[in-house]
Amino acid sequence: MASVSLPGLPSWLIRIGLPSIVAMLLVIAGPWILDTYMLNILARALFVAIAALTVDILWGFSGTLTFGQSAFFGIGAYALAIGFTQFGFGPWQALLALGAALGLAAAVAGFVGWLAFYPGSTPLYASVISLVLPIVVVQLLYSGGSFTGSSSGLVGFESFDLSLEGWFRLAGIAVVAMLVVASIALSSDAGRVLSAMRDNDERCTYLGIDTSLVRISLTVITGTIAALAGFGYVGFSGVAAPENASFVFGTQLVVMVALGGRGTLIGAVVGALVIEVASAYLSSSLPFVWELIVGLAFVAVIVVLPGGLFGSLRDASIALRRRFAAAPARASSPVALATLEHTAAAPDRDDVVVEADHVSRHFGSLSVLSGVSFTARRGELVSIVGPNGAGKTTLIRCLADGRERSEGTVRIGGRPIDRLAPDRIVGLGLGRKFQAASVFETLSVADCLRIARVRIEPPSFIQASPVLALPAAARAVVESSGLAERLGEEARFLSHGLKQALELAMVLALEPQVLLLDEPTAGLTRVERQGFASVLTALVTRERLCVLIIEHDLDFVRQISSRIILLHQGRVALDGPAADVVGDPLIREIYTGNKRPRGGELTT
Amino acid sequence: MRFALMITLVLDIMTTAAILFIVSAGLLIVFGVMKIINFAHASFITVGAYAALVASRLGLPPMLAPAMAFLAGGLIGAAAERVVVRRLYGRPLDAILATWGLSIVIGQLVTLAFGREVQFVPAPVSGTVMILGEDYSGYRLLMVLAAIVIAAFFTGLLNGTRLGLSTRAVIMNETLAQGLGIDSTRVRLITFGIGCGLAAIAGALITPLASVDPSMGLSWLIGAFMLVMISGGSLLTLGLSCFVLGGLQVLASTFISPILGGLTIAVLAAVALRLRPEGFARA
Amino acid sequence: MPLSRSLSTMLAAAACTTLLAAPALAADPIKIGVPVGLSGANSVVAPSVVQSAQLAIDEINAKGGVLGRQLALEVADDGSGAAGAQKAFDSLVFQKKVDVLISMETSAARNAGLPIVARGKVPYIYTSFYEGKSCSPFMYVNAWVPEQQVPPIVDYFNKEKGAKKFFLIGSDYAFGRGMLAFTKAYIEKTGGKVVGEEYLPMDGSDWTPIISKLKSAAPDALITSTAGGAPNVTLTKQLRAAGVALPYGNLAVDEGTAKSMGTDAEGIYLSASYVTGIDSAANKTFLAAMQKKFGAELKTPNDLSVPEYEAVYAYKAAAEKAGSTEEAKVLKALGEISVEGPRGKIEMSKQHHAPLTMYLGQVQADGTVKVIKSFPSVDPGPQCPNLKS
Repeated sequence: MASVSLPGLPSWLIRIGLPSIVAMLLVIAGPWILDTYMLNILARALFVAIAALTVDILWGFSGTLTFGQSAFFGIGAYALAIGFTQFGFGPWQALLALGAALGLAAAVAGFVGWLAFYPGSTPLYASVISLVLPIVVVQLLYSGGSFTGSSSGLVGFESFDLSLEGWFRLAGIAVVAMLVVASIALSSDAGRVLSAMRDNDERCTYLGIDTSLVRISLTVITGTIAALAGFGYVGFSGVAAPENASFVFGTQLVVMVALGGRGTLIGAVVGALVIEVASAYLSSSLPFVWELIVGLAFVAVIVVLPGGLFGSLRDASIALRRRFAAAPARASSPVALATLEHTAAAPDRDDVVVEADHVSRHFGSLSVLSGVSFTARRGELVSIVGPNGAGKTTLIRCLADGRERSEGTVRIGGRPIDRLAPDRIVGLGLGRKFQAASVFETLSVADCLRIARVRIEPPSFIQASPVLALPAAARAVVESSGLAERLGEEARFLSHGLKQALELAMVLALEPQVLLLDEPTAGLTRVERQGFASVLTALVTRERLCVLIIEHDLDFVRQISSRIILLHQGRVALDGPAADVVGDPLIREIYTGNKRPRGGELTT
Repeated sequence: MRFALMITLVLDIMTTAAILFIVSAGLLIVFGVMKIINFAHASFITVGAYAALVASRLGLPPMLAPAMAFLAGGLIGAAAERVVVRRLYGRPLDAILATWGLSIVIGQLVTLAFGREVQFVPAPVSGTVMILGEDYSGYRLLMVLAAIVIAAFFTGLLNGTRLGLSTRAVIMNETLAQGLGIDSTRVRLITFGIGCGLAAIAGALITPLASVDPSMGLSWLIGAFMLVMISGGSLLTLGLSCFVLGGLQVLASTFISPILGGLTIAVLAAVALRLRPEGFARA
Repeated sequence: MPLSRSLSTMLAAAACTTLLAAPALAADPIKIGVPVGLSGANSVVAPSVVQSAQLAIDEINAKGGVLGRQLALEVADDGSGAAGAQKAFDSLVFQKKVDVLISMETSAARNAGLPIVARGKVPYIYTSFYEGKSCSPFMYVNAWVPEQQVPPIVDYFNKEKGAKKFFLIGSDYAFGRGMLAFTKAYIEKTGGKVVGEEYLPMDGSDWTPIISKLKSAAPDALITSTAGGAPNVTLTKQLRAAGVALPYGNLAVDEGTAKSMGTDAEGIYLSASYVTGIDSAANKTFLAAMQKKFGAELKTPNDLSVPEYEAVYAYKAAAEKAGSTEEAKVLKALGEISVEGPRGKIEMSKQHHAPLTMYLGQVQADGTVKVIKSFPSVDPGPQCPNLKS
């Protein structure tokens, strides 16, 4: 891969470095400016802000609505309180308590993640689990008698001998540090994967990314951080109460993030600080009116202003820039294309790369596919045709997802797929392109392509690479379709044809042996269809891919296919060279439903 | 003594299941028709409880309390649907959040009007009933009757009226129903109002057993939510779930500890959902 | 609704008192902080506590205040729990900078507030009965502890009702467990047996499984120690609804709460340092003054609210004896002064706790308490041996 210097670094430094230096100065100077009461409240609020940041990472960036971060906060809090109550205070006890907090939080997070993010789970189920978790934790705290303090909580234990100013600075530095690290990580290439998963989980799975594993890992990381926040909070305040782990506190975190602006990081911090400070000052004078205002603002934000404060500011500034800027808006910094050099030339041999053997799919008594058997080789372009309801898309699903079929075996690249999930089958060399263009709407074209490369080249956690290296086939599609000029644009602004091209490029970026295409020409213009035909032909002849394509346009099929499989009512009706199948009277019979040929060209 | 404990247990289970059913029915109706979860359900329970409080302060006969509650809950619910919920169909997670925000708003309004301290409503039916040699709380037994009446009423409404027919059509296929001239917007409005009104009735019915304060509905919310999730959209399945899970809760509370018993419904429902994510209703 | 209006009237009155007092005097007012459970389990009794404080402050201000300065009231809601108490104490000690804290709170709230009291070095007079043995150089207690309150009830059940088997129910926190631990020990010491001991969290309200266990254990008597206020009412309601008619000793109920329970409370035995029926001139004067000041909005003065009234006077006495409001001097004086109040002569002279006259009573059908027996000057026992005085 050609290496290029990194022009992106200075702006990165400015965007993150300058504000963080200012923030650090504010944190250090704080105790000289603010009074004791305010410092007290802010020190606590800063620890809460860390917990709010974890909610933003989970919800704003990766799309999982969670009410359960309070449970991890509580775990950290009680680990410290129980540790110091039972064992007294000292450096060893502190380390033990810290270890317990982190270990327990990680273990619980791992379990909860495993429970919530199984393959096929829905975002709603994950939210349900996140609801149940704090309730379980609080009930366990209640049932702990004097060990956990039950309803009273734990108090009176000796804790770290840090002054109020020291705690304030510690908490402040922790928040700034977390903001910096999170900003860098989330705008890096690895961080983009989270946005991709939020936008289109299925596409990620079919690009070979184990989204469950990513989500579980994220749960463990954020859970541990929230536990650290709770540890600090109780280390400072000296009181651990069941309210620190409660469902209500968990919802308050969500409210803070929503009002501040989800997906902006700084919004979570500002939301937490403003709400904590205001409720402390107003709770004596106007407690109900204040909470009423928060409730109303929250409803308004969810319904009409989903971006919250900072999200709306960001959208407004983008809109302003678009109005006054000459060039179209860029979603990310400029990117240079490069081509990967193949270490091995495309093989000449005609291996069998797809084998289906008596594949069947039943839904109860309804049989969608029965006894479908065929093979496909490198360098073959096999079209699968048949009237609606014949089972074509189901067949594709059975090839791409090991859990789909009811009976039979499927082998990709010579290896059986058993009950493998789609992301593992991608690893066997399969790439699937969906019928409706399935890309990542809020990511730029370049980022979409980068996500496609994630399986093969693990992305950086630190920077957004300015170079996009693609295999030759993918690059060819990018350049011939005109995407090369629009690398910085968000995918949702592309035309239908360009989205289709983008998805094809993404799938080709996987360097697959087998390409599954589901009605790729639907909605394309005649010119686009021609371009597409030549692309496919090149893939088959030059790269020796095996391409299976579901199509209705029999002209197109006849033009490009080497072989045609006709499906009818779940069975293979015809399977042979293109010319033979097209001329066979059976195909007309099946499509028109009657035995007499209608004469003339048959188009659908 | 063992026999006596068994009788008490069986009655506890029956009455707990009945109370759970009454509290959850409104949430089920909203979820079944509109496919969104009304997290403001808790605050409507609270509204109903305060309506009962007002009724008892005004010296009205206790039978009127549920009716007043239904009216209050129904009207506020309809207003909420019109202003807030209507915009959130198709955004189920946001619907949860917005209705949670709504519950904060309603809770604060209740506090502003009534104060935040705990208050009490006297039980309309006091005393015990002798069942198989055991004295049992008459009011709790009344809850079983109330649950049956509510179930029968709403099944009748759904199956025997034109509104019910339209509602069932909207449940099955909203676009088709609209195409056939059914005003699905109006169906949704009425359904949400009824669901909230039902929550309020539940609040009015349970106050004599406990106490009234601005956040009382909250402890019922999660249990009701989980029961509705595993019941899919069917009232019958809801009744069964209340019986099974409520029964397990009573058994856990009695034989293990009341504190851990409170966990039973939430944990078991989460596990059940994992096994069958679409719920257990056949429909 | 009457309740919230009266509360805001009280707060407005407090604010007015502060505003009017300030320009009238050269010195600024002495602030008395009252963190109390305006919401949560204690919210049933909190209004009566605030009323007591209000009356005491008004009476003292009318006679010229303390050391020439008027008293001002600062109320904060501690939510009847640890998390809320932290916020309330922080606000009173560091934002409002009160000179003294005088209040009745749940043990959870008190325990959470003590570290803040120590950090802020503010004298704290705790006016609530509690489970005992809570010690801080900054805190004085003028209400009863188990050593004073439990024996009358257990002895009465034992001797007069022949009860040998007891069932105990409580709220699961320091007070509930502490009281019942003492009770269990005392029962066993006097030859009885505890056949069941069950707890619910402080804000739990469904006692059904516990009541079922109670019935199946068939004890001779029931003794409960829930958080004062809401849990008392829900438990009693549900007990009566289930037909439980055992001799019922409630260690945590006050006259006001008993009144709000209506007929359900009839027959409950309680042991208290204050009942409205105390036949003394001081009590009669006090009740008349409360009636005059609050009229229809008066909350029944009770064993949780009257100590608050006396505590404000105790602070006055201590500040005057010390000649200043400086914390160290006031703290020393608090252990040396005595106050004549509705409960008689109160001195917090025994390790920061006070010997008290206790009354064993039974709630009547109209909610009043009939005194069965009284016990003069009961010693609190060794509560804080490590504290001087």
